[in-house]
Amino acid sequence: MAEDRNKNEVILQVKDLRISFRAYGGLVKAVRGVSFDLKRGETVAIVGESGSGKSVSIKAIMGILPGNAIIEGGEILYGGMDLTKLTEEEFHKIRGKRIGLIFQDPLSSLNPIMKVGAQIMEALILSQKMDKKAARIRALELMEAVGIPDVERRFHQYPFQFSGGMRQRIVIAIALAGDPEILICDEPTTALDVTVQARILELINKIKEDRHLSVIFITHDLGVVAQMADRVNVMYAGKIVETGTTEEIFFSPVHPYTWALLSSMPDLETKERLLSIPGAPPNMIAPPPGDAFSVRNRYAMKIDFEKEPPLFKITDTHYAATWLLHPKAPPVQMPEALRARIERMRRAVANG
Amino acid sequence: MLRYSLARFGAMLLTMFIIMSLSFWIIRLMPQSIFENPEVAPEVQKLLEAEMHLDKPMVVQYYYFIRDIITKRDFGRSVKLRPGMEVFKVIASRIKPSVVLNFFSLLMAIPAGIILGTIAALQRNKLADNIISFLVVIFISVPSFVFGSVLQYTFTFKIPIFPTLYDASATSFRAMFHSLTLPIIALALGPCATIARYLRGELIETLSSEFLLLARTKGLTRAQAVVRHAFRNSMVPIANTVIPMITGIMGGSLVIERIFAVPGMGGQLVQSITVGDHFLTVALLMFYSAISLVTIFIVDISYGLIDPRIRVGGGK
Repeated sequence: MAEDRNKNEVILQVKDLRISFRAYGGLVKAVRGVSFDLKRGETVAIVGESGSGKSVSIKAIMGILPGNAIIEGGEILYGGMDLTKLTEEEFHKIRGKRIGLIFQDPLSSLNPIMKVGAQIMEALILSQKMDKKAARIRALELMEAVGIPDVERRFHQYPFQFSGGMRQRIVIAIALAGDPEILICDEPTTALDVTVQARILELINKIKEDRHLSVIFITHDLGVVAQMADRVNVMYAGKIVETGTTEEIFFSPVHPYTWALLSSMPDLETKERLLSIPGAPPNMIAPPPGDAFSVRNRYAMKIDFEKEPPLFKITDTHYAATWLLHPKAPPVQMPEALRARIERMRRAVANG
Repeated sequence: MLRYSLARFGAMLLTMFIIMSLSFWIIRLMPQSIFENPEVAPEVQKLLEAEMHLDKPMVVQYYYFIRDIITKRDFGRSVKLRPGMEVFKVIASRIKPSVVLNFFSLLMAIPAGIILGTIAALQRNKLADNIISFLVVIFISVPSFVFGSVLQYTFTFKIPIFPTLYDASATSFRAMFHSLTLPIIALALGPCATIARYLRGELIETLSSEFLLLARTKGLTRAQAVVRHAFRNSMVPIANTVIPMITGIMGGSLVIERIFAVPGMGGQLVQSITVGDHFLTVALLMFYSAISLVTIFIVDISYGLIDPRIRVGGGK
């Protein structure tokens, strides 16, 4: 019964987070009011193209924003603390112990001239206050847990002696070393080839189950999202434009940007030319006054260029920020090709 | 690692041999007879030339030169500057001030450079970094003899706290060192700035690397992460800059030794070339080359110690 109650417990809450970067041309508004919850034991995906503010948001959660970043507002509530207000010293107690992070590129996220065993042990000694002997045993266990064969030998090797997938497993082992309750994965499979990618995703799902972790999963790959996430936040230009359960986002998307993302996802059946979203994301030094997506949006209306859309509620879990949902908006249907595609996905899911 | 070291050592000996041969041939091709002293009777000259095989063709001279080195470890004798003295005895008599000068400049330059470079990298684009970077540009671009003259003028004439020239009669090491302080500083400024500049660049790059970020997500403090992960990684290229530095310091000390009248090796080399003391010139050139080669050897080995990617070999 305790399990059930825990299920809906929100362990991390991001509220109206705003982050800017001091840059040569002025302030780059990277994150402009992002809010989402993370519940115990669930996987929340944050989806968006490069520069949409996904990584910046999670760097703020880890307290590793670069020096020229400014948190302009908002709160990150975790364990009764607001992480945006923590000092560097206070952050140490959280980083690595309660929140673990997996980076995009396993090659550059490991120290090239330090043995992998030592890198895992370092995390254990720091976060668990283990002595060297205990840390060594635990590190070997962790390496086995993330599926590295021949651990005794591998323990004494350097990152360059590992393949990309194996390196990512080491990074996961390091993230797990602190025995965290939240695991943040920042595009963990982008730098890996597809077969390895599938195995790493399986591994992340497995350790999530085994250790009852809550996972924030950052990616631009919708295929990965479908496989991993319980809930999805679609980000564009520093804002969450649509949020919902994975089913809602995949089967009944309402935001034109989500439509465009889903249409540009390659699959095996599509015969026609794959859609690419025209144009580029806006310059975030001076974001456009209305909906940031309006310039690239085929369904944009006059109001889209003038006023930012609020989040409209569709169901209790499904929200989207588009004027198309306004009662006065003309009825717009999603593109036919996408509708057909969603229909295929539905059938595929129904058939298992 | 052992095979790597042996290979480097073999390469070093081979390079040494090539340098020795080249300097032998080039020096001998200079249009000077070793004995052009009118005070020495022609018969005596003939005898001496015969003893040193100078009456024979170059190739034969070269053979004797190499043979004596290999069999008797005999590099010949000085004929002009210190007649009759074995060349290595000549070198030994001049070595002390030069070595003290070069050694202490490096000993000062390396830690000072490391400290300044680290401060500059950590305080990037702040006041401390700007001051250090400004000084670095000056120290790198102005040659050491200018600093030598400026220091000499300032600290021996305006504020006389150091002797103007090297005190050759100094009995204690302390007195000798005291008179060498200014040339040591003059020589150290350039290398110190070079190290600081390289280290700053390397550290800034390492500091912004992903593995440093990951190190911090493990729960290391910023200082811990810098010391454990950034510093050693930045040392690899720094070791590389030490090689040209040592040769650079030796080159600089040729001039600095003149300014401060240090009776060191640099002056001896210049003199021996001017008067045509061939055996001594070759020996001095070899001495300088040997120092460079040994430094390169040490740096090569230390690469392996610092960077496992070189030690283990293979892979990326």
